[in-house]
Amino acid sequence: MNETQDDMSLQLECTLFFERNPYALETVRGLAKKLGRSELALEAVVERMSRLLILERIGEGERAIYTYHAPAVRQELDLS
Amino acid sequence: MIERVDSGIRGLDTIMYGGFLRGAVTILEGEPGTGKTTVGLQFLAEGAIRSGEAGIFITFEQLPEQIYADAASFGWDLRALETRNLIRIVSMEPDVLFEQMRQPGGLFERLTNQLNCRRIVIDSISLFRVSADPEQARASVYTIRNILRKLNLTSLLIREYSGYESQYAPFENNVCDGIIRLSLQPHMEKYRKRTIEVLKMRGTRIMEGEHHFTFTREGIHVIPALSMAEEKMISATADMLTTGIEGLDELLGGGLPRGSVFMIDTNSKANHRYLVMSMFVERLKAGDHTVSLMTSSSTIQGMTEISNLFGVSLEDAIRSKQSFFIEHYRKPVPEGFETSILNVGGLEGEEYEAAFEEWFRPIFLHGKEKGKGWFFYFDVNTVVSERGKAFVLRFYADIAVKCRMAGITVVAHANFTELGAETSSFLERSSDGVIRTWVDGKYQYLQVTKSPTGRMSAPRIIENVDARPFIRLV
Repeated sequence: MNETQDDMSLQLECTLFFERNPYALETVRGLAKKLGRSELALEAVVERMSRLLILERIGEGERAIYTYHAPAVRQELDLS
Repeated sequence: MIERVDSGIRGLDTIMYGGFLRGAVTILEGEPGTGKTTVGLQFLAEGAIRSGEAGIFITFEQLPEQIYADAASFGWDLRALETRNLIRIVSMEPDVLFEQMRQPGGLFERLTNQLNCRRIVIDSISLFRVSADPEQARASVYTIRNILRKLNLTSLLIREYSGYESQYAPFENNVCDGIIRLSLQPHMEKYRKRTIEVLKMRGTRIMEGEHHFTFTREGIHVIPALSMAEEKMISATADMLTTGIEGLDELLGGGLPRGSVFMIDTNSKANHRYLVMSMFVERLKAGDHTVSLMTSSSTIQGMTEISNLFGVSLEDAIRSKQSFFIEHYRKPVPEGFETSILNVGGLEGEEYEAAFEEWFRPIFLHGKEKGKGWFFYFDVNTVVSERGKAFVLRFYADIAVKCRMAGITVVAHANFTELGAETSSFLERSSDGVIRTWVDGKYQYLQVTKSPTGRMSAPRIIENVDARPFIRLV
């Protein structure tokens, strides 16, 4: 698995975490503990997610807090 | 007046005499698995559902998704409440919370303002101990308490508790307004019981001691100790008549419900005179009418003297036809009082009952509709010695029913030990309430063992005092 695939996998993991815990207010350190991942690997991922407006970053550096920008849902559809 | 906040936990408000005080910061402690998180969630969920008060649950270790799932098992749809801005389940690190709480316009303030938050649960403050030295941890909790108070948030701070801590009081206990402890204890060898105890609650009375609780489909249900099923018919509708003894009124939830039948059980050494006289003169002071079934040793003269001590003229009450007496014995009667006394001495069988019936009939029929309050003091021991136990059982039950229907308040007196278990049990069943007083060693005790409000009390010591009503419950 190359680096990009690892990042995408981790991004999916982060997205799922925030989707299931939409009011989590986590630093990279807190997120690393909850996901069982290294802080180093997560830093780049959450930074990219904040650029993509999936997460909102509050503050700077290692004290920065990330919170979820839940996608606006007009209507829940059951596609099964 | 200090505002109360419904805890949302059935039975807990009873123990705290009405709920938390608005803005109080309370420690909720217990060992793992005792139900702390559930109490916290119920406090927030029921507050949101029933009172429309928004609340925030801050978790340091558990994932919110686990909390959503746990809450769903009790029927609380937290995600739906979040959509309505009534709940937030927030996960964060303890140091981040502390930093954000202190920061003007920080995340904590933004969150509480956004929701108009009134309640908060922090799970758990024990982590401040883990991540800092004791001095720093104390300062952190103290600061948090001050911020919560400043924002007037009614708060539960969950604290892990383990048995070894019982040797010394943790600093959080001094800093916070209240402490509630949950425990899981051995019960009857094979079983375990869950208990809740309010150890401290500033600004409110508490029902001391451990109270059982259970997990139901709707959450936690606390069963206040020493309580029985409440007699709703009486307690919901009756006025409460003061006994004149403040401590006894408290034990009875306000006093004697009008139209109830109370039994005072004394042992041979216990003095019940001031207890009964206090109730009696309070009725006269309130303008009620009284009927007293006299004992062999009591006299109108003696009752008059004691009433005078209480500042009430029984003579005036007799002359104005406010007070009446039933007498079994030939005793000297003060002049002019004859018409206020029904003498049943020497009457046999049906004559005896007929005399009572005839005398009481107007009161039973018209007492209530004329808006007159009636109070009947009934000395069971006297009727037993004159008519026998079998008669008393039937007669007492009959009188009790008729008085209840007519709204007449009855206070009877008996010595259960002398009457025996079977008779006593019957009398107890026929009464709405039982007050026991007895002497043990050098002290006289009093305990409410049955009451229409479902309250039973712990035993209290009766202390003699110089001022009216001459006794006090301690």
